[in-house]
Amino acid sequence: MASATDQKQKSAVPELEGFAISRPPLLGYGLIASSVIVSVALLIYFGAWAATDRIENRALASGNVSELQDGEWWEDGLIFACPLH
Amino acid sequence: MTNPAYWLDRKFGLRNHTIAHYAWVIVAIAGVVQMVGAAIRMAFGVLVDPLVETFGWTPGSIGIAYALMSIVTALASPIAGYLGNRFGARKTMAVGTALFFIGMMWTSQTSAIWELYVAYGTVFGIAQALLLVPVVPAVAAWFRRHLGLGTGIMMVSWSLGPALVVQVLAVLFETVGWSSAFVIVGVVGTGILAFVLIYFRNTPEDASRIAYGTLPNDKPLVTEGNVFVSTQKEFQRFVYKTNAFWNLINIHFLGCVGHAVILVGIIPMAINKGVGPLTAAGVLTTISVISVSTRFITPILSDKFSAKTVMFLSFFGQGVGVFLLFTADSALDFYVFAILWSIPYGGEGTAFPVVNRQYYGHFPIGTTYGWQLLGAGLGMALGGAIPGLVFDITGTYAWAVGLSASFSLAGAVGIALLEPTRHQLIPAWPELEQDPGSLGVVEPVEGRKLSPEAGD
Repeated sequence: MASATDQKQKSAVPELEGFAISRPPLLGYGLIASSVIVSVALLIYFGAWAATDRIENRALASGNVSELQDGEWWEDGLIFACPLH
Repeated sequence: MTNPAYWLDRKFGLRNHTIAHYAWVIVAIAGVVQMVGAAIRMAFGVLVDPLVETFGWTPGSIGIAYALMSIVTALASPIAGYLGNRFGARKTMAVGTALFFIGMMWTSQTSAIWELYVAYGTVFGIAQALLLVPVVPAVAAWFRRHLGLGTGIMMVSWSLGPALVVQVLAVLFETVGWSSAFVIVGVVGTGILAFVLIYFRNTPEDASRIAYGTLPNDKPLVTEGNVFVSTQKEFQRFVYKTNAFWNLINIHFLGCVGHAVILVGIIPMAINKGVGPLTAAGVLTTISVISVSTRFITPILSDKFSAKTVMFLSFFGQGVGVFLLFTADSALDFYVFAILWSIPYGGEGTAFPVVNRQYYGHFPIGTTYGWQLLGAGLGMALGGAIPGLVFDITGTYAWAVGLSASFSLAGAVGIALLEPTRHQLIPAWPELEQDPGSLGVVEPVEGRKLSPEAGD
């Protein structure tokens, strides 16, 4: 049996009169995608810069500047991902 | 006996408003929840040194707990908003209170770094989302009109809460130690939350009252039952199809990156320019204090005029204001910056409940607001990481300041591209075929015809 609230609400079903949003929110998608891409790019760029500095500093500290130093996994990953480093 | 609220109404000469309404109790409770919830976030700054001294962990490894907490809160926000819509803010916040207690007690007994990550980073993170997300849509449900006023008063606690909680924690850390301080704050905070939740009601209909600003011809809104659940699902699908839904998440993200850079970086920036540590800390305090005014006034102006315009001005001001930091090299310069920048900064995030009302009417905004806080949380996490990262590799904060300005101004562009706020983007939320008088309360605030029973 329907509750009193539901009975009252039968008359409250919204009259949508065929309301529909047919067009996808491309502008919204585009703006949020731009922010995500720019933010990730910035993180990769600055992260790779920091990773390069850390590897160079370790090389300087060990006094072995001429040889290529091994980076940690995340340092190597950031440098690999960044086309500018 | 005369209700003191009516006496205050007369004393203040209020004509279109009244203090004698339960909506203000809800606003006060929301303020308390925000203050206690903020303890979770703000406690961290004072926690770092004691943990370094006690366990010998590095500040960097401890900082991961804060980053984890920020990200967990952000990711949990849409779920918290959905739970608030589906089961009510009161039940959701009750679960948040239980997690708050568990998190505080566990953190107080932490002896390994992984425990800190779980207790503070994860349990606290979820507790924060469950406490802070559903309360704002719940306040919105209590205001048929004048939502800006209710939101403005609630948002003031965003500034006052952290300022108060940090002081209390600092004193407790000094006197009883960090572990006991967490136990005390956990027990007292949980007690306060449990007490205020007794008086909290999700909607005016739950309390057999009517929303603030309801006029005689307004019919009650659907707030429960099968129609509520099915209409909510249907309307949420409409909301997902609007550009504003996605753009507002993006805008909140951009704005939060913009000011997180400054909030996290302003003290080291000032010290880097030769300003003393105490004076530098005063710059941040000045920002907190002055931003209270615009936290209050922005939602009211947004309600009265167009939220889109007010938000645009806030973001634009936040972006342009940081240019002052490029030339700041004395304490006076930093204080001038703090005073001028805190005005737009205070208005950056507080108009969101109002713009949601203008776009989506009385549709329950829990899930929608939760998504917006997801953007905000990720923005705070990214913005908080930028100053230290950029300074370490460039030796200057100029890049960080430039990035802060760029993100805020990008947010302003996003706002300019929002739909006009003159018309709702989705259909009107359904009303019951029932007049407000049938609920036993009559409250036409406009025209000053209050009955003694009016929702007090």
